[in-house]
Amino acid sequence: MIEILESGLFNTVQDLGRPGYRDIGVSASGAMDPLAVRIGNSLVGNDENAAVIEVQTFPFSLRFERRTVFAVTGTDGHPHLDGSELIPWCAYMAELGQVLELKQPPRLARAYISVGGGLDIPVVMGSRSTSLRGGFGGNAGRPLAKGDRIAVGEDLEIAMLPATGLAVIEPAVALREVFPAPVDGVLPIRALPAGEHGLFAGDGEAFWSQIWRISSRSDRTGYRLSGEPITPTATIEMRSHGVVPGVIQVPPGGEPIVQMSDANTAGGYPKIAGVIECDLWRLGQARIGARLKFVRSTHAEARAVEQAVARYVEDVRLTSGMVKRALKAMA
Amino acid sequence: MSAIDFGDPATIAFLTDALTAAGVEGLEISRPDGQIRIVISGEGAARISVPAATPRASDSAAVVVKAPLAGHFCAEHPGTAVAPQTLPRSISDADVLGFIRVGHMLLPLRAGHSGVLTRLLAEPDTLVGFGDPLFEIELPS
Repeated sequence: MIEILESGLFNTVQDLGRPGYRDIGVSASGAMDPLAVRIGNSLVGNDENAAVIEVQTFPFSLRFERRTVFAVTGTDGHPHLDGSELIPWCAYMAELGQVLELKQPPRLARAYISVGGGLDIPVVMGSRSTSLRGGFGGNAGRPLAKGDRIAVGEDLEIAMLPATGLAVIEPAVALREVFPAPVDGVLPIRALPAGEHGLFAGDGEAFWSQIWRISSRSDRTGYRLSGEPITPTATIEMRSHGVVPGVIQVPPGGEPIVQMSDANTAGGYPKIAGVIECDLWRLGQARIGARLKFVRSTHAEARAVEQAVARYVEDVRLTSGMVKRALKAMA
Repeated sequence: MSAIDFGDPATIAFLTDALTAAGVEGLEISRPDGQIRIVISGEGAARISVPAATPRASDSAAVVVKAPLAGHFCAEHPGTAVAPQTLPRSISDADVLGFIRVGHMLLPLRAGHSGVLTRLLAEPDTLVGFGDPLFEIELPS
């Protein structure tokens, strides 16, 4: 068990999501930074889809009620265990009674806490993710609150973790060749023109050339962007149609909305572009007020990035196991 | 890859156990600075000839942190801006002095002793072997 000692609003249990039910109006949910979840779970020896805690409002703290392997990923801040500073993206062993504390990260939006054995949460429609709008999944369909106690699954690899912990080179560093760093604080997000891009004519070009800011009216459902409004050349009425995370819609006000993890399942606004799936985690880590620029991408580039990420994830999974086994053999 | 320190009893014990487990009768290694021969007796107990390695200049108040695994030695976390370590500097036993990097994995190297970090014994980003000396820590007297 773990006990939540302190939590801000909207911190939830998430995994990699609940695909396959949009046709009945159920959004996929899942972590806003799925790459951090996959790597965190690999570090602690879990299946990459095991349930974790997504922390997006800080401070957050929990107490371990038994000896537990854990890792904090996604964040650029330093977690603390009983007051001692740890490094992020590193698996550690917590002893019974120890307290893990996460403070506001310096730049990024979200942190993920993985525990060996995963959070023992009932699976609802193929996922342990919390659907806040549906009020189901995760921690009884609601955000975590002080006093909540969550069961932890059996950790079959607990004896494998080296005493000093085991860390990973985080994606932003290991994959810097495929994920360009922000330029002057402006995050580049790759996207592909979508179905109604042609309706925007010159304003379509303005969409790609201007710098957008993430508005305060943003959440796990969608990021609303502030900037010079863009409008279509003609007003059209569209029937509501399916949308997925990454789709960028333009409502009548002209300021785009990017659908995120709790994306609506359908909508009628024209779609100007779609963020490539491999860049969604970077958007998920961008905070309100952050500036971003959309970079026109191609299917070939999106596929190349996807393959680079897959190689990295696979290398972490295989090498972490190999290092643990080698150290165990020499212990 | 740098050489293993055969003057370390723990290294000899590890090699002996590994030879026994593998059913190998013995091992002999010669280097310019000395040689070591480990012979596993028929009863399963090892007979070890004392290595004739050149004794290292040692300070009884200093300890050496050695590589627990083969890999690339990182004096800093690869994600941090490179800043040269100022030496000597005071450290506590829980401090992370560096990492062994294997692929994208990083094995933190804890000091294990409080004292003064006096020397880096391996070049950053070089490949090191199991048991290679990495840091020297002067213990408080």
